[in-house]
Amino acid sequence: MANKIEFRKIEGSSLQYFALVAIFAFFTALGIVAYILDHEFHLSGLSNRVPWGVVNAGIPYFIGLSAGSLIVSALAGVFKIERFKVFSRIAAFFAAAYIVAAIASIALDIGKLYHFGNAVIYFNPTSIFSWNAFFYSSYFVICALYLLAQFEEMERLTRFFACLAVFWAVLVHSGTGAIYSFMYSRELYHSALTPPMFIVCAITSGLGLLIATLYFTFKFTKRDLEIRLLRELSLIFAGLVAVLGYMLAVEALEKGYIPAVASATKFVYLTAEHGIFWSFWLLMIFGIIIPFLVVVIPKTGFDPRLLSAVGISHAAMVMAERFFLIVPGQVYPSEYLPGYEIESLHTLEGIIVSYTPTIFEWLQVIGLLSGVFLAFVVAAKLLPILPEKAVVMKE
Amino acid sequence: MISRRKFLILAGASAIATMLPLQISAKTLKSESMRRWAMVADVEKCTRCVKEFIERTGNEEVKPPCVVACDRENNVPDFEEKAIDPQWIRIAKFKNKYGDEFYAPLLCNHCENPPCAQVCLTQATFKRSDGIVEVDMHRCIGCRYCMIACPYGSRSYNFKDPREGLKEVNPKVPMRTQGVVEKCTFCVHRIDDAIAKGKEPEPACVEACRLYGKSSLIFGNVNDENSEISKVLRNNTVIQFRAELGTEPHVYYLPMRR
Repeated sequence: MANKIEFRKIEGSSLQYFALVAIFAFFTALGIVAYILDHEFHLSGLSNRVPWGVVNAGIPYFIGLSAGSLIVSALAGVFKIERFKVFSRIAAFFAAAYIVAAIASIALDIGKLYHFGNAVIYFNPTSIFSWNAFFYSSYFVICALYLLAQFEEMERLTRFFACLAVFWAVLVHSGTGAIYSFMYSRELYHSALTPPMFIVCAITSGLGLLIATLYFTFKFTKRDLEIRLLRELSLIFAGLVAVLGYMLAVEALEKGYIPAVASATKFVYLTAEHGIFWSFWLLMIFGIIIPFLVVVIPKTGFDPRLLSAVGISHAAMVMAERFFLIVPGQVYPSEYLPGYEIESLHTLEGIIVSYTPTIFEWLQVIGLLSGVFLAFVVAAKLLPILPEKAVVMKE
Repeated sequence: MISRRKFLILAGASAIATMLPLQISAKTLKSESMRRWAMVADVEKCTRCVKEFIERTGNEEVKPPCVVACDRENNVPDFEEKAIDPQWIRIAKFKNKYGDEFYAPLLCNHCENPPCAQVCLTQATFKRSDGIVEVDMHRCIGCRYCMIACPYGSRSYNFKDPREGLKEVNPKVPMRTQGVVEKCTFCVHRIDDAIAKGKEPEPACVEACRLYGKSSLIFGNVNDENSEISKVLRNNTVIQFRAELGTEPHVYYLPMRR
């Protein structure tokens, strides 16, 4: 028989609390300033050869965090795992906040913000991005309703929304993967593995950040958090991290097997002079191998600090994964006529171009992430999303 | 004060409202009109022309008359920084490992199945019934998805206000703004004007090429079997770039004959 879980608002009157609010608000504001300056004076590293950079990578990144967070939250509802219920509100809240960050990422990335409404007014049924605009907004509504059902403690409705939200999260995330992977004109983009990989990656990054957020939140608010709960989340995390590593390896080997893209593959995976090589191998080492080992080795796998550290490390490296997904297909030149290299007299076509994100681009991504955490610390004071304690109940 | 429940309901309702499409435009039309515009570039003549220019000026990045005419006609700005300089038509040198070398113009291919129009979020990029692929800059949100989708690198994004890179403005062509994508239109304004007057249309690049005495570029209606372009396409083996993608590009290349 499950005990009733007490959700309670935090008091939020300490100096530390306001300091935290101020820090997050500062970085959020900095992101907005960076956006304004970038669009006014073109301070990004983008070019006509690389029109999508890290701000664009922020879209799948935040959607991933959102979907991951939501799937974790909904585990409790869908599979009736009572002990995960303590996380369900906090995770559902993050799911909603991250999807807003993802939509904000699109808003920051596009050139004409005041034309943004056209994306819904002139819906294009053949555009995957157009469908996603619909998915993202509807997904936000589902997250909000799911959270509302939890606040009102409506058991059956919560379960219904949990199921719907998981289904929608998979849909949203497959759709986002398809934005990139259906690009048949770029060999390095085109991969049927991308949408399923996005879902795995979403859960791992969402889980990784959730583990860390839970640990720090409970510590900060001096609430009880039993290590067994973190451990269970970490095991799911490690299992899926391994699946992600497997998928990345299969994709790399498959690309390397095709003679037509062999030189591009060599450039991506084996050329250490370019950032792309590092984005892949840093992801492999700090995003996959180390987090997996830390969780599965018993000596380290029960330490909440280490679990939080690898959770953050993985979530940060997933940004490298997004970079790795979006950038190589642009910097590597396309072959217009088989057997012929080209050298453009007037553009940068035909050569490997470099793309280095500027501080102004990074600040926009950091600003969005700060915005999510700003919303969280404010919400923890206004809404009952944090459980009084998270300990395993005796069954 | 607004209750938590009301707030969430309001937030949900407003999100639903933004989802409702107010207008669903027609899908890209299949070219069924009496006209289908296309271009042929005679690579041999192009190569001769570009080599001549490079030799005369000593400038490896020289702009031949077709490029200069396009820039002027269509208000294509000229920026120092190559990475962000928009180009509607540009010249590229092709070379294979055996030493074969030639120059050819690259421009929008006005595909029968344009991937750019397929992916455009707002249907800002669309194909007219005569096959011309256009961008409605009032709809374009500047997401650059079309640039990722285009197999021919034919699209440019305005990182800066184009007016900053223009010495003079041709009032016949709409001026674009910062934050939208632009590309070759086959000089659609000239085409519409010529059709209205019952004349044969000629894009600025084709005209400049002819006036310069090269006549390397041939433009015309491929639905008219008596047109010059139809005859060229009928009587020669021509090349299309990246035809394997199924985009059906409508810029053809007449290879070197030597």
